[in-house]
Amino acid sequence: MSAAFKVPLLLRGEVIEADWVDFGGRRGGAQFSAPDLAAYLPRLPLTNPASLGELYALSLDEIIAFLGQLGERLVLAENPYLQEAFELSRQTSGLSDPILRYHYDMIPAYFRPQSVRDIAERTIGVDYLEGWVRQPTADRNAPPVSIRAVGSRAVHIIAGNVPVVGVTTVIRNAITRSDAVIKTPSNDPLTTAAIVRTMIGMAPDHPLTRHVSVAYWKGGDERIEAALYDPRRIEKIVAWGGFAGIKHLTQYLQPGLDLIALDPKHSGSLIGREAFADEATLQHVARRLAVDIGAMNQEGCVNARVVHVESGTDAEGIARARRLGELTFAALQALPQHLSTPHKAFDRELKDEIDALAFVDDEYTVFGGRHNEGAVIVSHSAGPVDFARQLACRVANIVPVDTVEQAVRSVNSYTQTIGIYPESLKQRLRDQLAWHGAQRLVSLGGATTLNQAPGPQDGIEPLRRMVKWIVDESGDEAALEAQALT
Amino acid sequence: MTDLATQLAANPQSFVQCDYAAGFAVSAPERDQAQLEAARQRFAALSPRIAPLGRMAAENGITEINCWQDLAPLLFPHTVYKSYPLSFIEQGRFDRMTKWLGSLTTTDLSRVILDGVDTIDDWLRALEAGSDLAPIHTFGTSGKLSILPRTKAQLDLTVRINANCIRDFAPESGGQKRDLLVDHLPLISPSYRMGASSIARGMNRQAELYAGGQDNALFLYPDAWFSADVLSLAGRLRAAEARGEAGNLALPASLIARRNEFAAREASRGADMDRFFDEALHRFGGQDVFLFAVWPILFEWAEEGLKRGLKNVFGPGSILTSGGGSKGKVMPADYKQQIFEFLGFDRCLEFFGMTELMANAPKCEHGNFHFPPVVVPFLLDPDSGAMLPRDGRRTGRLALLDLLPESYWGGLVSGDRVTMAGFDAPCACGRHGPYLEPDIARFSDIKDGDDKINCAGAPEAHDKAIDFLLEQSR
Repeated sequence: MSAAFKVPLLLRGEVIEADWVDFGGRRGGAQFSAPDLAAYLPRLPLTNPASLGELYALSLDEIIAFLGQLGERLVLAENPYLQEAFELSRQTSGLSDPILRYHYDMIPAYFRPQSVRDIAERTIGVDYLEGWVRQPTADRNAPPVSIRAVGSRAVHIIAGNVPVVGVTTVIRNAITRSDAVIKTPSNDPLTTAAIVRTMIGMAPDHPLTRHVSVAYWKGGDERIEAALYDPRRIEKIVAWGGFAGIKHLTQYLQPGLDLIALDPKHSGSLIGREAFADEATLQHVARRLAVDIGAMNQEGCVNARVVHVESGTDAEGIARARRLGELTFAALQALPQHLSTPHKAFDRELKDEIDALAFVDDEYTVFGGRHNEGAVIVSHSAGPVDFARQLACRVANIVPVDTVEQAVRSVNSYTQTIGIYPESLKQRLRDQLAWHGAQRLVSLGGATTLNQAPGPQDGIEPLRRMVKWIVDESGDEAALEAQALT
Repeated sequence: MTDLATQLAANPQSFVQCDYAAGFAVSAPERDQAQLEAARQRFAALSPRIAPLGRMAAENGITEINCWQDLAPLLFPHTVYKSYPLSFIEQGRFDRMTKWLGSLTTTDLSRVILDGVDTIDDWLRALEAGSDLAPIHTFGTSGKLSILPRTKAQLDLTVRINANCIRDFAPESGGQKRDLLVDHLPLISPSYRMGASSIARGMNRQAELYAGGQDNALFLYPDAWFSADVLSLAGRLRAAEARGEAGNLALPASLIARRNEFAAREASRGADMDRFFDEALHRFGGQDVFLFAVWPILFEWAEEGLKRGLKNVFGPGSILTSGGGSKGKVMPADYKQQIFEFLGFDRCLEFFGMTELMANAPKCEHGNFHFPPVVVPFLLDPDSGAMLPRDGRRTGRLALLDLLPESYWGGLVSGDRVTMAGFDAPCACGRHGPYLEPDIARFSDIKDGDDKINCAGAPEAHDKAIDFLLEQSR
């Protein structure tokens, strides 16, 4: 018997619905079927790179306009493909319905011409995408050099924790004039397919449609990956997410194949002593902290998990940290539904760890954590819980410290965002935090919501790396020949 | 009630004096009644003395056990025996470790001397020297060892009940029963003689009780201590590697100081293995022996032996006890045949067990694991944790009440997903009482990645940890 959800293979403008194989969704939830990719594998990569040329018959204005029209068709209430993706996500995603709906409703906005142009301009530069850019030089006699940002052939292994990842991938592929094979995750196999299927419905023969494919295969399937991850077929792999997945990929890397690893990251918060000025300030801080913890049900890498607090570690300091924990938990419970709800599939192993804290109640205070409501764990000394890396499903750990310098030392290259209070502390620490590995510093409460502007993404600059920076150098003809003679 | 049921209700530990097989003939209502009575007594005795149990009971308004539902909120999470913060160990706070362990047992730890104790191994030895405990540790998931407050007397009891199981559960063809406690067999173990891991402690005690003394036993490492510190480091290293943070792991100085000892053992591993084979062959070749090891270790051993041209090494009346599946190790389909070809016999008793349990569940000829009447198994709803009805055939999360320990609380929720039956109809083998079907999975494996270190992984993890130790301290 085939599963209820069908995930078609979208192959360069063609919709393939045959050779179904069943797959199980994550969290034991939904099952879906997808065509057995092995049968279509030869057609998946772009064998002739010269056909990228057809993308260059389009101007960036035309690309932006096309994406704009696509965005207008991606309204959840009107688009049956997105509705189906939404239904499947309701079963597989860690986000509950109101949050999911909020994120689906945001999709058209990403495609607005102004947003897309901003991304092109701020991450690569429109002139580099549109043509060869003469490089400035201080030496007037130096031979002229021009550079252009050219598209490449890439496989994108995308994450499924929030729908925006697929949206972003489609937009980035279009503006860089690249060729994408998008491998969807089992926890969201349909959202990206819905977007590309809408593209196919809109213009099946459009160059942008014919240079994006969407496929599901089980990550690690050697039949597929050994054949696909070959520098003769693709040039880049853009991989989102899990450490194990990225480590697994590295076996295929070889000269000619570039891995753009959007590594797994964790985020945290840093709260200075000013938070404890008075009860009203603490309440204010707790609310902002609750947003960083709870938004998107803590499914994102941007969400706060370990929270260092400059409360002091003596008895009074611990009491201050506990008061913040109490207020934060209350604020977490009161977050609006489109931001955060109790988690619908609370992590069982995490629950076992939280339950065990009852046996060391001298060391930790736990607010919540009884069912799926989330929890704020307050350490009674300057160390996080041993399972800090497992914190999820709206569970955070407040760690009291005597000085913020102690907290700075816990930052490393796996740290993505740090939400900071107050602003002056961010000013004071931002260089130090950057040296330790932090990639994004935000005002407390903005970890998930200030993320809209195009930026370098975790210090990685994926767009600049998705294109190839090609150089054209010209020399004086006679001088070039003269090199052979003297 | 039958005599057996009456006896178990009054004192579960008296099971050691019983015919092990008789436990599977008790009718369902009698077994239930006896177990409930024993559970009632255990709870009454322990809840005033084990603070976390008393607190959980108070929070749930439970003053006594009158039905199994009363027990549901009183089952400890399986994480309880590793609930200590790792920072206690990293900062050498073994006083706090002792206080923590003391909160989980009625055993008096006030005489334990902690002077100079700065490693887990030292601490475990100090507990053994200064109290009735023979504490055991697990092989550690995600870098943290569980530590159980088992007593010396309980260790002895466990080994004796296991002997009864071998005697009564699956007699030799012809119905002949062998009581290893009386009729000794040489013991062979491709592992450590000393250490506080559940296996090392069990094997050491088995050498005394089954083999009649250490002289009649052969260990791969007769003089080395299976180090909980190295094991814990191996686990932490693996967990840190899984997070890409291996380079950030801080090592205790006392461990670095012992690096030469570990390195020397590493260097002589091949020679030790040679000596072990040599001795096995010359001292015990052709004789009936007793063997215990998990399958992957046995296979590694058999592979080495077959490579050396060794076959049919031991006598046909030998006994192997094993368990634990393949532990994630890839072995050929015929691994058992290869093992038996090497060993020269195929009498084998497999168990489902866990360090936390004093009596394991042996596997019957139909592939199911039968709990002896001193262990009460439950199924919980995997999501809500609610107790599922004790009837029919159901799949859920396994929880257990071990009625044997009198000094710590035996109620525990496991991390295993199992299918259980046998409440109202006997197994095809004829035995009564609840049993597990062979398809047993860890929830953590079902969810996704595998960062587990189990018994089979331990030697390899050990090696890796020692490499790391050397690398970091050079």
